[in-house]
Formats: sequence, structure tokens, C-alpha cells
Amino acid sequence: MNIYIQAASQISTQEPLNEKWFDTPSYPDKILNESIDPDFKAYIPVMIARRMGNLLKRGIVTSVDALNKCSLNGDNLQAVITGTGLGCIENTEHFLNAVLDNEESCLQPTFFIQSTHNTISSQIALFIKCHGYNTTYSHRGTSFDSCLLDAFVQMKLGLISNALVGGHDEMTPSYFTLLQKVGYWKNTPLTDENFHAADTRGSISGNASLSMVMANMKVPYSLCQMRTVEMLYAPTMQEIKAKIDCMLEANGMKLADVDAVVMGLSGDKDNDNVYKNIMSEVTRDIPVMCYKHIFGESFCASAYGVYTAATAIAKKRVPSHLLYSSRKEILNPRNILVFNHFHNIDHSLILLSCPD
Amino acid sequence: MEELILELKKEIIEVLNLDGMTPEEIDENAALFGDGLGLDSIDALELIVLMEKNYGIKLANAAEGRDIFRSVATMAKYVSEHRTK
Amino acid sequence: MTKILVTGMGIISAIGVGKTPTVQSLLNGKSGIGRIKHLKTKHLELPVGEVSCDDEELKIIAGYKSSLPITRTSLLGRVAIKEALEDADIDNRRPRKMAFISGTTVGGMEKSEQYYHDFLNNDLHNDYISLHDCGACTDVIAKQYEGKFDMVTTISTACSSAANAIILGANLIKAGYVDAAIVGGTECLSKFHLNGFNTLMILDTDKCKPFDKNRKGLNLGEGAAYLVIESEESMLQRKIKPLCELSGYGNACDAFHQTASSSDGEGAYRAIMQALEMSGLSAKDIDYINAHGTGTGNNDESEGAAIMRAFGNNIPPVSSTKSFTGHTTSAAGGVESVISVLAILNDFIPANLNFSEKIETLSFSPVKECVHEAKLSHVMTNSFGFGGNDSSCVFSKL
Repeated sequence: MNIYIQAASQISTQEPLNEKWFDTPSYPDKILNESIDPDFKAYIPVMIARRMGNLLKRGIVTSVDALNKCSLNGDNLQAVITGTGLGCIENTEHFLNAVLDNEESCLQPTFFIQSTHNTISSQIALFIKCHGYNTTYSHRGTSFDSCLLDAFVQMKLGLISNALVGGHDEMTPSYFTLLQKVGYWKNTPLTDENFHAADTRGSISGNASLSMVMANMKVPYSLCQMRTVEMLYAPTMQEIKAKIDCMLEANGMKLADVDAVVMGLSGDKDNDNVYKNIMSEVTRDIPVMCYKHIFGESFCASAYGVYTAATAIAKKRVPSHLLYSSRKEILNPRNILVFNHFHNIDHSLILLSCPD
Repeated sequence: MEELILELKKEIIEVLNLDGMTPEEIDENAALFGDGLGLDSIDALELIVLMEKNYGIKLANAAEGRDIFRSVATMAKYVSEHRTK
Repeated sequence: MTKILVTGMGIISAIGVGKTPTVQSLLNGKSGIGRIKHLKTKHLELPVGEVSCDDEELKIIAGYKSSLPITRTSLLGRVAIKEALEDADIDNRRPRKMAFISGTTVGGMEKSEQYYHDFLNNDLHNDYISLHDCGACTDVIAKQYEGKFDMVTTISTACSSAANAIILGANLIKAGYVDAAIVGGTECLSKFHLNGFNTLMILDTDKCKPFDKNRKGLNLGEGAAYLVIESEESMLQRKIKPLCELSGYGNACDAFHQTASSSDGEGAYRAIMQALEMSGLSAKDIDYINAHGTGTGNNDESEGAAIMRAFGNNIPPVSSTKSFTGHTTSAAGGVESVISVLAILNDFIPANLNFSEKIETLSFSPVKECVHEAKLSHVMTNSFGFGGNDSSCVFSKL
């Protein structure tokens, strides 16, 4: 059985709900970069939206947009699987501040209700009235990757035939400050030109809200086929290499058949060194694509890696601004490997191919 | 009483995030829950917090609020009789 | 389809550290719910199911010798996983490929709420910043076992987190991704969620009374529990004795309301029916239901309605062991799965403490006193979370 990505929809630092970023991206010029939000009122009735934070609204809008592209709704959708590294951190901070400042009295329940990580997944289901499988992964930089694995495995087992998967994270100014203390962010913004040149720790922050529809049937608008999803824990270089070989072999492919490798290069030297080692030891001459220079870093940024690869396969080209190693446009990429890691502990490998 | 009713309407709009609504649009005799303004159980909890925070009135449970929160007018009556601040 | 077997378990909660004291407490009707001892809160009027050990004592039990900071959630998890791995003899007989999947929602919040002002104003406790998120909590537990796990992830579906970890683990084994998985959850008490539940006015100021007409709410608890599940092939290859079979599971969404459950228990009903269908069992085959049974007005009525719909005239004995442990939220699915398996292995049905009067709309009453010498072939355990994340698992005697 083959599994496909049918549609995707995003809200990020780029123009929302379209793929203009593919040809004409805007380059984030701050360290803490905001999302460009659409007019939520056009999608969510005011009475329903009134308690929702922006992250939740983004989750619902991108979900509904992706589902609409494949004529799915609450009745025929079989799973809602959501990744979020921090959950609705804005509401979490709001409630935490109230607990501390008001000495545990006169607290507003809404901020607590909206703070739990599963708020996004369950409110998407509530909004579209979907009784199907529903779960939330919150595992740092592989939260979204875990969603893909869950959906992929359930489709392979025949438990579901389609799924809405999403990666949603927001960054607040105060949480940004905390993470800056522990080395997550740069002290000065990066530009497109120097993004990969820095030899310091930290990246630039973005928000993530990406929803994707996966299904086990090819349709004319399928973006790509998802051949394999693998997650690894604290692997050695040899184990990563073996896993890639094994994935390719299982699909009747060789390394030379891979047209590009998408990597989460973020401008953080420790993070990027892991990818650079893979380049020199494993993927060698295969062109490397990157995406965090336009979408920024977040716990769910890896969703944009998969999205970038899927979009390139669907559009049958890789524009030069997405290329790391060479600046020569790739025409007709058929197979793209997406490699992601978080702190060199949790890793994922996703192989995407042209759907025909 | 008029003043208290207006004050309550403003507070309700604020804590319940009734975006874009004005005090004039809330009929003080109309039902707050169900068919009227369409509030739900979470709003009831928010109103309980509002009563304690702004008027020093402590309600022990949500059931107690049912009659008090029937309309803005019933809320105002209860507040005027029980407020401690 | 691949058979999923339980080959090891570990548990820590208010009723004991480890399986043996847990069984003893359940057999003797000894609840762990009492006054707050460790949690720094002003709400001392609220009874909780707190683990009696403080962090330092937990470090000793968990064998945590590092000087690196660790959160209470991770410590509880380490205590439970240690017992589970020893129980399944993982050290001596390693499964080929193994996953670790843990559920949590509180994560490092219990430390973040203590040091939040320091985080913002000075550098005294920066180490805890990186330990705040759910995934960090799991990675800190996993780190001790580097080289053992082939993949690690974290599920956060509030009070059904651990149950959903069990489901993912079983699916990964069936799909051949791994041969074994350590699944469950961990959660410590925090001022954050104690106050959160308090704003919802669903905390009883007395000991909780699940399924009682006059129930007033739940008592929060803390704990951790993990099960080692593996394929039959792996079990045979490792020559390890299985404890029981995970014969079915289901996950559905109530899609009714942000916090409340539907009056007909639609999501719960769907999860229960899926679990029954996968196990190939019918309602009359289930010998005991370890209910979600939080003791709130809404949950018990909704869950009761779902049980009535699913079981009709064949409602088996039902009890909520949250009357012993308190509601251990993200860990609950693990804690109650371990309790369900312990009930199968030790031939008893745990009591539903503090019950006196039946809920009028329900056709059944819970088990009031511990039933000894109960031969249990199939036990169902329910875990439902905020937002209608409903899951159900069935464990079967071998």
C-alpha cells in the first residue's frame, strides 16, 4: 500500500496559506520573528474564536484549509494527529503568571483550559466534529515527525486510510528570553547571505503552523508519495548510514537515486555540524536543501522540512534559494530524503518520492 | 442600579472576550446562557471569578451560580445585596 | 496479527513504590489520598494522592547519582521504568529493537513554577529552563538507557497520555518497527494544574467518591507507571515469561466540548467498542472494568452512559482506583493499566472506595469492597482526557 501527502497549508513568517515562499520568500530579519496571520474571522466564527489564542486559531485555519483542498471533513477524516513542542505557551504563561502573582486565587479557568498541549488537536476535532483517532505528540524537535510516524504506521496496519497531521508552535517574547539564556537564539539577526556562515551557537526563532493531509490513495493533486518514516534515538554515524541504506534498499533505490537531502540547518554551529558530518560521511555529493533560513527555528520547524520537500516534488523543481551546497537549480526532483535531528539525540528520516 | 448594570456588562464583555460587542447590545433581562447570549459552562466559571475578584462574593460551586447568572439584571441584584467590596 | 504481550511492569504512586506494595494497598483497601506534604501550594485544604518520598529519596530509589538537575516528573518516571526493565529482564536479554514512549503534560512545570521569577530575573536556575517541556522530561528518563532505545517520543493528551503511549507502542510493534516498547506515563503534582483544576471547580475538598450520587469532584494524584510490551516472537526469542496479553485498544475523540464530556459518552463509547472489536471479545467476556472514574459530576455520568451503551445487560464489575491513587492525570493510563494487570495476576477486583449511593441515571453501582479470588480473564481500562481524548485498553489472561 502506498501513502501520499495530498495537501498542505501553512501559517508562518511567510505569506500565509499559499506557496509564494517557494519562489519569492521573505527573509526573516529579526531574532524573534512573528507569524503573518490571515484574517481569522473569515474562518472561525467570533463566538467560537473568542477564547482561542493565536496558535490555536492558526492550527484550525491551516487544518480546515488543508482538508478543504481534498474535500475531507469531520465525517470522513479518520485521524487528527498533532505535534507541538510547547503547546499553547502564551496561555500557559498567562495562567502561570496569574498563579504566581495572585497567590493562587481568583484565577481565570480559560487560560488553564487553553494551556494544555492537546488543546490544538482536540479543538480541531471539535471544530470539524471529527470522532476519529486523536492524539498529540510533544517531543521537542521531533514532535511533528512523531505524528508522521503514527499516521504512517496506522495506514500500513490498515487502521486508518487518511489523517490530518500538523505541527504547531508559537514563541512568546518571555519564553524567547528564557530559551535565549540556554543558547537557543543568536544575539543578532542573520541575513540570507550569512545564514550558514556563522560559527556561533543559536538560531533565529520562527513560529510553526503547518497542517498536512495524508492518505493511502493517489489522487491527481497528490503532492508526493511518502515511502518511509523512521525515527532514531541517539544514533551513531554508522547507525544513521545503515538506516539510510536500509530505507533505500527497501524501496529498491540507491543513494544515487536521491535528488536532494533536506536538512534542518539553522545557523547554530552545534546543530549544523551534525548535518555537515552527514554530508561529508554519508550523502556526499547529493545536493542539500534547507528551509530554516526562511521559516526560522521552532520545535515544530521540521514540519517545514517535509513541506519544503513535498512542495519541490509537486512543483518539479528546487529553486536556488532553497539549496545549501550548490546554487544551481534542480529540475524535476523525484526522490527527496528529509533528515532532521534535535540536539543530536532524536533523529528522523523521511523519504518522499514523486507520486507516479 | 443602572450604573451597576452597565459596569457588569462592560466586565462581562471583557472577561468573556465578547469581541466587538457593546454594552448596549446586551439586554439586561435576556438570558445569558442558552438561547440568549449563548454562554456556556466555562463562561459560568469565569463569571464566578469575576464575582469574587470585583465584588468579593464567593460562590461555592457552579450550581449556585445558575440562578444568579440568569441575566445581567439578576446578577446586578445579587451583587448589590451581597457585595463586600 | 502480531500478538502483543506484557512482559514487565513498574509503578509508583501514592499507594506504594513498586508492584508489591501497590497490590497490598489495593487488597487492604488502603487509600493513598491525604494531606499535601511536599507540593508548595497554599491550597492545603485539598486532599491529594502524593507520593510519600521527596525528590532526594526518589533519587536514591531511582539510582540517580548525577549532579545534574532533574525534575520530579522525570524522577518518578525513572523509578517506574527501572522496575519495569528489571521485571522484563531487559538488561540481560535485550530485545532487538525497542522504543520508549512516555506520556506527560506537566513535564517540568513543577520546577518552572518554583523558579519562574528566577528564570526571568537571574541565572540561578537556568538549568531547569531546558527541562520544562514534555519531551525533555522523557529524554532525561531515556538518557540513562542510551544505547537501549531505538526511538523515543512523548505523548501529551492530558489525562489519557499514557494510554495513548500504550497504543502507539503496540502499533509500532505490529508494524515491525520495533520488537518491544516501554510505554506509559509520568506526572508529578504541580501548583499549576492543581490551581487549574481548582478553577474548574472539580476538586473535592474531601476524599473523592467516584460513581457516587453525591460526588463532588476529583483528588489529584501523582505517579508513574510503565509496561514493557513486546511481540510474541521477541518474547519467545528472549525466553521471557509473559504476564498477560494486550488484546485490544481504541482511541476516539468525543468532539463535544473543550472540557466537558458528552452526556451520552460518544467518544468513550467509540473507544470502548474499538477496543472490544480489536480484542475479538464481546461485552459479556469482560470480567472487570477499571474505569476512568474521576469522581467529577460530568465524567462519571458520561462514562457511565458509555458503559451502559457498550455493555447493555452485561455490565461487568466496575471500579475506579482513583479512590486509592488520586487522579494521576498523564500517568493515569499507565498506573491503571498496571493495576488492571495486577488484578488479573493476583485474582482480585479492587474496590471503588467511598461509594455509598448509586447515580440515578446509571443502571450499575461500582464494586464497594475488594473482591478476592476473582478469576479475571479480560479486563478493560479506560482513560479519558480533556478535549475528549478518549482511549480504552483490554488486557487478557494467558
